[in-house]
Amino acid sequence: MNRRLALWTVLLTTTAASPLAFAQQGQGEVTIGYQGLPYKASGEAKTGIQVSDTVLMHVGAGAEAGYDSNVFYEDAANARGSAIMRTSLFADVSNATRAGASGKLMLNARAGATYRRYQSDDPAVQRFQNAWMPFAGLALTTGSGQFGFGLADTFIRTEEPPYNPVQVPIARYNNQASAELRWSPGGGRLTGTARYTNMLDFIQGSYSYGTSMTNQIMLDGSWRWLPKTAVFLNLTQGFVTYLEEPTPKVPSYPLRITTGLRGLITEKTSVVVALGYNNGFYSSGATTNGFLGSTFVDLSATLRPTMLSRIVVGYRHGFENSLISNFYYTETAYASYVQQIANRFALDISGRYMFKDYQGLYDPTTPARTDNFFQLGGTIDYFVRNWMYAGVGYALLANDGEVTATTPTAPDVNYIKQQVFVRLGITY
Amino acid sequence: MVNAKALLTTTFVASTVFAQGPAPTPIAPPSAGGAVDISVKQRPTLTPEEMVNQAKDYGRNMTEVLKRTQTLQDQAKREKDIIRLNCVTDKVVQVRVNISIAEQSVAALQEAVMRADEGERTHEFTRLTIVNQKVQVLGAEAENCIGEDLSFVGATRIDIEVDPNIPQYDPTLPPAPGIDIERPGEASPLTG
Repeated sequence: MNRRLALWTVLLTTTAASPLAFAQQGQGEVTIGYQGLPYKASGEAKTGIQVSDTVLMHVGAGAEAGYDSNVFYEDAANARGSAIMRTSLFADVSNATRAGASGKLMLNARAGATYRRYQSDDPAVQRFQNAWMPFAGLALTTGSGQFGFGLADTFIRTEEPPYNPVQVPIARYNNQASAELRWSPGGGRLTGTARYTNMLDFIQGSYSYGTSMTNQIMLDGSWRWLPKTAVFLNLTQGFVTYLEEPTPKVPSYPLRITTGLRGLITEKTSVVVALGYNNGFYSSGATTNGFLGSTFVDLSATLRPTMLSRIVVGYRHGFENSLISNFYYTETAYASYVQQIANRFALDISGRYMFKDYQGLYDPTTPARTDNFFQLGGTIDYFVRNWMYAGVGYALLANDGEVTATTPTAPDVNYIKQQVFVRLGITY
Repeated sequence: MVNAKALLTTTFVASTVFAQGPAPTPIAPPSAGGAVDISVKQRPTLTPEEMVNQAKDYGRNMTEVLKRTQTLQDQAKREKDIIRLNCVTDKVVQVRVNISIAEQSVAALQEAVMRADEGERTHEFTRLTIVNQKVQVLGAEAENCIGEDLSFVGATRIDIEVDPNIPQYDPTLPPAPGIDIERPGEASPLTG
């Protein structure tokens, strides 16, 4: 769960780059796109302030400065660029020592904030010049032997410019809480996991009608037929309701039942193979249907050629909830390459391609729409000390959409957004 | 026959004389004025008071050795190191016995001092010195007692060496909790 918190930090600083949370518990940190400021130094750096015998605190601060080529995600002819700066502060406290956890009960609390500023003479950009984005997280886990228990909560506020400069910013307050119970009878060959997740997603601005609450129950059973390889059966049932009126959104009860393989297939390669059935169960309007529409596929392979490098490739087929339609079918392919060099350099390059086929669009003038979405991110940081780094980063977001419209002119949903940054920070 | 015997006897005697070589120079007798003491000193030159004080120092040193060996004994008990404990206990017992002897000698020494019995006083002081040296040796031996760590193989232990390439996390766990949120798509009538 701590790793999930790390994911949120990346999400926070990514801003426009939609992070991809194809994270797997335990191996997490697989974030596609521009990577936020580092949370910890690369390698085996032992950092942190030992507040007491059992309390360890990490603190950090960083700044990024660069250029955003397209603040409002507009087409190439109307793109407005601006200088951009981001500064971040965070603190993280856990009951641990530099050598690791100090007890069976593990507690982690984290809080921080990012300040983003567009520096431009363009009045349209100036309206969205400043944004404060705080975040916080809490995780508690305990477990030994047969039973394990975990509680986690993460909160984040994000604020992004809208697609149209005359609109208000898209501000989002997202809180996700979860409770998990794990049971491993016998020698741990069989493991059962039950988890409840609650998400409150408050949206301000043009998308406020999408403010929602999601309750999700997950039941997972796995049989570990090798020490780090298991076959599993997973059932996830969601309950999505919308809190604003009026809203075109309808309640839905997404169900996913999957089975497959998780774990190592060689010493250096781990895979996730999940195949199964899914259904959106939207209470009105379009809903998932057909063989492909009811099929869920998640394939992922993680290769660690050396102890300092990691390659992840993956593919996913399924559906996702959408704010401009009931949902969209999606085909996603992604890849990530992480390399540490000489325990000083940290390189991260990743990208993904998503094909989105929207179903049940709320705009009556656009009955059909498909998007080809590309995302690319690259960062390289040099750790001057194990607590100080300097680096550069690049992010690309691009959309190539096709909209079928009943009006003479179809809306243009294509854009290319590029960001470059130099960054400097400390994390201890 | 008589002549042959005489010749043989003469020959042996002459050979003996030649083998001795020249006679050594006689040592001059000590003169009364320039005395050189080459005898081994048999008696201490300490005064009675100095002997008593020295005996007290010996007593303190031996008591310190006893305390130290008892500490070592307690340490071995705590560590449940039976082999070392036996060794140290043996030294403690011997130190106590020697201290007992030393106490008797101190008492006898003080009596001899009071009686001005030089012979007895010297005897008891010598005995006390020897006992003290023995206690110091016992103390050193107690420090060097070896325990299980070297002489006892201990319980069977299994060392597992895991290939460092194998990740430490558990990849069989289900995905971490969390629901993805991402920037909504653009929709002109609703979002401009």
